[in-house]
Amino acid sequence: MIVEHPLSSRMPSRWLMPTALLGAVLLSACSPYEMRHDNQSDARTQIWLSEESQVKVRAAQTRVFDTTDKRKMLQAIVTTLQDLNCKIDVLDEELGIVSAKKYVDLERPSFLDPSYILYRPDTLLFLTRNYRAWGPFYHRSDLVRLTVTVRDRNESQLVVRASAQFYLRAVEDPVPYQQFFRTLEQAVFLEGHAVD
Amino acid sequence: MTTFTMHISLFGAGLLLAGILSLQGCAAPEVKPDLLAPTEAQMKIRSLQTRSFDLKDRNAAIRGVIASLQDLGFIIERANEGLGLVTAARFAEPNYYDVVTITVTVRQETIEKMSFRANAIYNNKPIDDPKVYQNFFAALQRALFLSQESTHSS
Amino acid sequence: MAILAPALLGGCVAHTEPAELFALTPDIPKNRAMQTRMFETPNDRELLSASAAVLQDLGFQVEESQREVGFLRATKERSAREYGQYVKQVLVLLLSLGKVMQPVDLHQKIAASLIAHPLNPEATRQEVRVMFYRVVWKGDGQVDNQYIPPGEQYMEMIRDPEIYQQFFAKLSKAVFLEAHRI
Repeated sequence: MIVEHPLSSRMPSRWLMPTALLGAVLLSACSPYEMRHDNQSDARTQIWLSEESQVKVRAAQTRVFDTTDKRKMLQAIVTTLQDLNCKIDVLDEELGIVSAKKYVDLERPSFLDPSYILYRPDTLLFLTRNYRAWGPFYHRSDLVRLTVTVRDRNESQLVVRASAQFYLRAVEDPVPYQQFFRTLEQAVFLEGHAVD
Repeated sequence: MTTFTMHISLFGAGLLLAGILSLQGCAAPEVKPDLLAPTEAQMKIRSLQTRSFDLKDRNAAIRGVIASLQDLGFIIERANEGLGLVTAARFAEPNYYDVVTITVTVRQETIEKMSFRANAIYNNKPIDDPKVYQNFFAALQRALFLSQESTHSS
Repeated sequence: MAILAPALLGGCVAHTEPAELFALTPDIPKNRAMQTRMFETPNDRELLSASAAVLQDLGFQVEESQREVGFLRATKERSAREYGQYVKQVLVLLLSLGKVMQPVDLHQKIAASLIAHPLNPEATRQEVRVMFYRVVWKGDGQVDNQYIPPGEQYMEMIRDPEIYQQFFAKLSKAVFLEAHRI
């Protein structure tokens, strides 16, 4: 007991300095901007979305409509997106794909980064290799990417799925999707059901 | 006092000199008359960059270009049937330092013939190595021939 | 410091000859097999539509669709931060006595480039090839008194067979067809 006591009290003091140093360094090493993004053990895991999160968001993102008129549905989707002030990038009638972006005025950028304006998502390398900036992702707090797909479910039903991306994350909150489908239902004069 | 004025005049002279120097640096380079004219080297590689194949189907031709580029490990960036245009890029693995971008256009020469033009860029420099284009057209021929072969077999 | 600096700046990178990038290397057939599956269906439209749906299921946003040539490209933008890199950054900072702050990965664009094309003239068999890759954008850093500006980019092809297997398993389920290896 007498031997153990000094030992246990000496242990923390020995680790105090390194821990404090490490903590201080860790805090200073991370700028607040960086802190806003998810930290993870392996960035490659982002390629795949876990089955749980797939199931979780799928229900909120999907509605079934009792119609087979794909064209009318796509028109309603386009109208809805336009009502939401979206810029439509991709519209493939036959495949039933609509993809759009929308700018939201959440944070005013403090400076103008040309990489943001010149960003072309269709090239392998953004801009040039020698250009140095915070990059096209820096102001992602003002951009929403949205993809809506329409597919046949069976002979009498269509399934509509909307998925959004905001600030380097998939939108998993069901509320924005509920709002989107409410607007869509009004545009197409039909009621959507959740997938059972 | 005199040293002060001398300093001032020296400073002034220095400024003037700097001004002249910077002005000279500001003169824009003259536009050469051949700025937009093809160079001899370009004319030479153009023949290397172009190849015709006996093919009628334009869509099959574009799909062949895509297949051959994919076989070579390229990533398709853009593909447009209407324009007959395919662009693709690939990094030099495993260090990923160098990047090659290739643009291929497909043009119908005659009813029976399809002409392919490939332009490859290595980092920021056009590639004039004939071997690059020979390799590409070999891969293209293989991709087109494979689909032709299945045409004959049917 | 002298040992650290080249490691940080990437040192001298061996350049690849352009001709090498157009040659068929032994790993190309292997990659092709991993990235490609064949489906017994005349319906390329359904195959593409299902592919888009599967990519959407995985959180991708469709960026381009060129149905005439069976081309789809979808991307997602995500954080690329990793704990391990911060640990390394701190270790390097401590070892260099606070002089070297390595930039860490910040953002990434994960992309899928997909092509569906018929294998025979009757178009009763379709081939789907998908390639996943990611482009990473790094943050800023510091060496001595010199600031390393942010924006260093690097790219990585995804060569994990598991990812491709799972993708085709999902696609196969979506079109109610078997995905055959080629």
